[in-house]
Amino acid sequence: MSIRAEKIYKSYEGKTVLENLNLEMESGSFCTLLGPTGAGKTTLLRILAGIEKPDQGTVFYHGVDVTSVPVQKRPVAFVYQQFVNYPSMTLYENIASPLRVSRRKISKARIDRKVQETAELLGIREVLHHLPREVSGGQLQRCAIARALAKEAKYIFMDEPLANLDYKLREELRGQLKEIFREHEGMVVYATPEPIDVLTMATHVGFLHEHGILQYGEVREVYEHPSHAEVGSWFSYPKMNMIPCEVFKHNGATQLKVTDELKIDIDSLTIELNRDRYLLGIRAHHLSVLKKKKTMIPIRATIELAEVVGSDTELHLRHENKRMILLMQQVGQFNVGDVMTVYIDPEQFYIFDAQTGEFVAKTENQD
Amino acid sequence: MLRQENLLPKPKTRIKKKMATIELKNLYYSYSLHEGDSAFSITDLNAIWKDRTANALLGPSGCGKTTILNIISGLLQPMSGAVLFDGKEVNRQSTRERQIAQVFQFAVVYDTMNVYDNLAFPLRNSGQPEKNIKQRVKEIAELLDLTHLLGQPAGKLNPAEKQMVSLGRGIVRKDTATVLLDEPLTVIDPILKLDIRRKLREVQKELGITMIYVTHDQHEALTFADHVTIMNKGVIIQVGTPEELFLNPATPFVGFFIGSPGMNMIDCEVKNHGISVNGFSLQISEEKIRKIEGLGGKIQLGIRPEFIETRKSPGDNWNTFELTLVENVGAYQILTLEANNLRIKARVDDQFKAREKDPIQVHFPEDKVRFYHNEKLIT
Repeated sequence: MSIRAEKIYKSYEGKTVLENLNLEMESGSFCTLLGPTGAGKTTLLRILAGIEKPDQGTVFYHGVDVTSVPVQKRPVAFVYQQFVNYPSMTLYENIASPLRVSRRKISKARIDRKVQETAELLGIREVLHHLPREVSGGQLQRCAIARALAKEAKYIFMDEPLANLDYKLREELRGQLKEIFREHEGMVVYATPEPIDVLTMATHVGFLHEHGILQYGEVREVYEHPSHAEVGSWFSYPKMNMIPCEVFKHNGATQLKVTDELKIDIDSLTIELNRDRYLLGIRAHHLSVLKKKKTMIPIRATIELAEVVGSDTELHLRHENKRMILLMQQVGQFNVGDVMTVYIDPEQFYIFDAQTGEFVAKTENQD
Repeated sequence: MLRQENLLPKPKTRIKKKMATIELKNLYYSYSLHEGDSAFSITDLNAIWKDRTANALLGPSGCGKTTILNIISGLLQPMSGAVLFDGKEVNRQSTRERQIAQVFQFAVVYDTMNVYDNLAFPLRNSGQPEKNIKQRVKEIAELLDLTHLLGQPAGKLNPAEKQMVSLGRGIVRKDTATVLLDEPLTVIDPILKLDIRRKLREVQKELGITMIYVTHDQHEALTFADHVTIMNKGVIIQVGTPEELFLNPATPFVGFFIGSPGMNMIDCEVKNHGISVNGFSLQISEEKIRKIEGLGGKIQLGIRPEFIETRKSPGDNWNTFELTLVENVGAYQILTLEANNLRIKARVDDQFKAREKDPIQVHFPEDKVRFYHNEKLIT
């Protein structure tokens, strides 16, 4: 099983959404489409599912051109961001309805078994005989997912299905969806702006940027080796710090200089830096309030904001005129305006071209 | 030469800002009496929010937090009980008389008016001279970074800017002593949320206003507030700083709701001066055991995923679990561990290397373990 999109173009009222987009997703995978709001994720998802037609380009399922096959005739299920349910039907009927109208003529007993099974899996068996308005948002969205699963569609498309749920429910469902889809034999394509969705659930990720796919690959690979500053920046939570720096030669050694305090030796890198300016990308958890390694570089920074996120604290810092975020894995109290020393791990930097944003090098972990 | 009248405050133009310590006493509320549905009631609720503090009211959807907010503002009348501002009952006062400004999920602005007129509107309504209005609008616009937008029609602004105008309209009156915010960031783009959170904090400090921020999102609550009130099913469960809520949750619900993932809660028994959990035992100091021994009822052990220690080699007071799921979040990994029908989550750093189905040794450090008796924190 696979999905391939070739040279896809789509625009609305003269506004380009997708342009010469190419993407190939392999079977057995949980694929995510990551990108900021407005990047075209929903449009791409609808085109892949057949809800919408591309202006140009071809969509293949398992090598077969399905571009002109309407959605009703495709082996697909779609889960929307808003909970789409039939309000006058019980949750049970909502899940069973695609099976009842199926051309496969499924027996009543089999439908019942299927509904009970998927409801069990999603933890909504106790509320199966309730109407949608009688259950919570989380239960409704579980019902929508159960309907997609019960249908046994080979291709399941999900458009930010957790976006409207409470923080705690999202957390819980992420873990469950990963387990559920591990057993699922078809393909899942899941659109989201949240890197955490990708990191916790997916096997593959495609990053959408400026009407096309900027990078596609296995999740860890893309996370460890972003091909572009935009990928690094968006595929990190919190966003990867991007700090402008310049090449600086001192006593025969080459350094990347951010400020007098913050300079990175790059002589050990086997690449030629032939521009004057670069971006140093460093993820927030590689900045620390403790000196964890001898090689860490101390810098002075002012606290602009302390955010508590789950069990972590994000410190928004200003070092001279550079802003950066530090992620601390504990809940602490900080005073806005305080000046403190923080430590940066010089072995965790990505170097991007300041003009094109392209990946240039990664400083090596010496451990 | 000084003229006499300049030495005296002018009673008409100087409006004294009230203090705003807000108190709810023995409050009762029920929707069912109004609408005939079976929604929960608020029963004998007591709370206090001190003057000039940043507060959050946090709880899951439907827990009653918006009801509380509406009772504070006067949009809803309690069935019984008192709403006190600085010790005085205000039950019969209007929102305006209580000197409250409100910010809702959707910005309340006049789309066809420009930003200046939107901000000036509440002042013009109270008949202030145009010169004073101009000065105040300028101040507020500066505080909220709206100066460059003053001439723009509000309808053209993005949702974040609109929400700032909405806030501006609330605080432009100098007598505003309290701002109530009800899920103000729901419709705002994630990137812009950060700027607004930073701004809200700044405004609260700068103007010394009492703020109460209602949300279901622990992230927003813990970031904004110094004092967080946690509600569930119409009841206030705990009030504390983010740190207190994290380290010493008063009930298993708080343990679950604060933190990501929430606290592990494990049913246990006191046996032979030790703790028995699903067939294996934990060594706990005498002092703690004494506090929970002989209590009867349900005893639960709570431990946060980030405090669980893990390693490969066995040892005294370490127990063997099977690793069943690894969620790598980038900065850290969440492990799901199982043993004897017990399932717990542990958080480890990004360097920890293990594969699903591996046996893992698990240790609960005693100073991080909490015990609950019938859903209440004991030690």
